[in-house]
Amino acid sequence: MAATASEGPFSRALPWLVPLALIILWQVSSSLGWLPPNILPAPTAVLQAAWVKLQDGSLVDNLGVSFARAMSGLIIGGAIGFSLGLLNGLSKQAEMLLDPTLQMIRNIPHLALIPLVIIWFGIGESARLFLVALGVFFPIYLNTLHGVRNVDPQLIEMGRIYGMNNRTLFLKVILPGALPSIFVGLRFALGVMWLTLIVAETIAANSGIGHMAMAAREFMQTDIVVLSIVIYAILGKLADSATRALERKFLAWNPAYAKV
Amino acid sequence: MSSQPTGGSRVSLKDVKKAFGSNVVLEGIDLEIPAGQFVSIVGKSGCGKSTLLRLMIGLDSVTAGVLDAPALKEQAARIVFQEPRLLPWASVKDNVAVGLGEGQSGKAADQQAAAILEEVGLKGREGLWPSQLSGGMRQRVALARALVSQPTLLALDEPLGALDALTRIDMQALLEGAWQDLGFTALMVTHDVGEAVALGDRVILIDHGQVVLDLPVNLPRPRKRGTPEFAALEGQILDKLFGDDPRAREAH
Ligand SMILES: Nc1ncnc2c1ncn2[C@@H]1O[C@H](COP(=O)(O)OP(=O)(O)OP(=O)(O)O)[C@@H](O)[C@H]1O
Ligand SMILES: [Mg+2]
Repeated sequence: MAATASEGPFSRALPWLVPLALIILWQVSSSLGWLPPNILPAPTAVLQAAWVKLQDGSLVDNLGVSFARAMSGLIIGGAIGFSLGLLNGLSKQAEMLLDPTLQMIRNIPHLALIPLVIIWFGIGESARLFLVALGVFFPIYLNTLHGVRNVDPQLIEMGRIYGMNNRTLFLKVILPGALPSIFVGLRFALGVMWLTLIVAETIAANSGIGHMAMAAREFMQTDIVVLSIVIYAILGKLADSATRALERKFLAWNPAYAKV
Repeated sequence: MSSQPTGGSRVSLKDVKKAFGSNVVLEGIDLEIPAGQFVSIVGKSGCGKSTLLRLMIGLDSVTAGVLDAPALKEQAARIVFQEPRLLPWASVKDNVAVGLGEGQSGKAADQQAAAILEEVGLKGREGLWPSQLSGGMRQRVALARALVSQPTLLALDEPLGALDALTRIDMQALLEGAWQDLGFTALMVTHDVGEAVALGDRVILIDHGQVVLDLPVNLPRPRKRGTPEFAALEGQILDKLFGDDPRAREAH
């Protein structure tokens, strides 16, 4: 556990040392000509590309488009997964009716549907939304179901003894009890979300970060290709940090998530 | 500020039987428990103590016979288990508020919760999470949650069973104090014969689904262990529990 490390500027800087060293190594290799720019451009060249793309506004536009796609897919797929997870977790009948089918569909890699999805939706916005929503659905569904199922039955009995009605039991016992597991699902879902979006935008899109990378590839603009990759990394990291912040807020009662 | 005494309510069982399928757990139980009495229930593991307790507070229904407990109709029966069963995501105060039931909130509820937390010695800990408390403190919160609605009947199923010896002694005094202050009828299952004698007005021994000993304890409170009278009562119960097996007695 990190709690044993001494608190200080040094231990705070520790995680950044290796990435920093790698970037310096990369820059030096490029400057000395060991890394040709058409294989991997220097970090400074990537920064420069970012500046150019920022100035002509296309970076912000593409970023906005990708972000909006990611979030809408997450909200749609997440909401459906969450609702079905709750439903099947709370009702044995619903689970018997739906879960076997869902477990079967789960085994199909959702990206394998891309050709079919393009036939159904063309390469429009709905195709990408469908893929992202489908991708995030399963981790959220499975972990919500698992979370609801695994709420301590002794706590549920306690709630009943104290006369909680179903609504209160759900809000005060079942949902909070399932929350840690739901967050695990959300983390997985975010990973799937970016992955799906990258693939979908790379294969079929005329805007977004993935499209920016593919367009750059045609002109061998490696700096922009690398820039796109870096942006995806940053977006992924931001999403992860946001989840962590939510966990710290909502799971503060759990010593495993309490702020160190 | 301390809570108002609410008094206890009586429980009476006439020829009560409880069976799970073909497994008869309790049979021919006749008990008259007057309001406000502290009843200790002992017996070997699996003899039906928890089952009897669950019957008396209405968590299970009798298979045959008559159980009469006014507290059940008034929803004034509560139970404390060996595990505190606190909501880990609710503060001490919110956990206690669970005991007030639906739709009870606001100033009066807060005052009731504060008063009962003071009674169990947890004043000033209202805002902590259960994970920040010791085992003994968690059990006090569970006790406060059970008592906050001023029940007239309180069942305790090995309430101190998970605590270390020193904490147990503290908690026994606390339990006795709360019972004396609030006046509820207490039904406590315990594995510890000394604890049964120290707290009970009466010790009931269950064996093979029947009451085999019903022993009044007429010692002044607070009781001192180790006095000859105390030891004599303990001996009487252990004799009945283990018969003439001296090794089993020694182990106890
Ligand atoms: N819900 C139930 N369904 C079926 N059998 C049960 C149920 N509850 C208890 N029993 C049976 O009743 C018997 C008595 O159980 P009980 O829990 O009352 O024992 P106990 O005296 O409390 O034991 P311990 O001291 O170990 O807690 C056991 O044989 C148990 O298997
Ligand atoms: Mg038991």
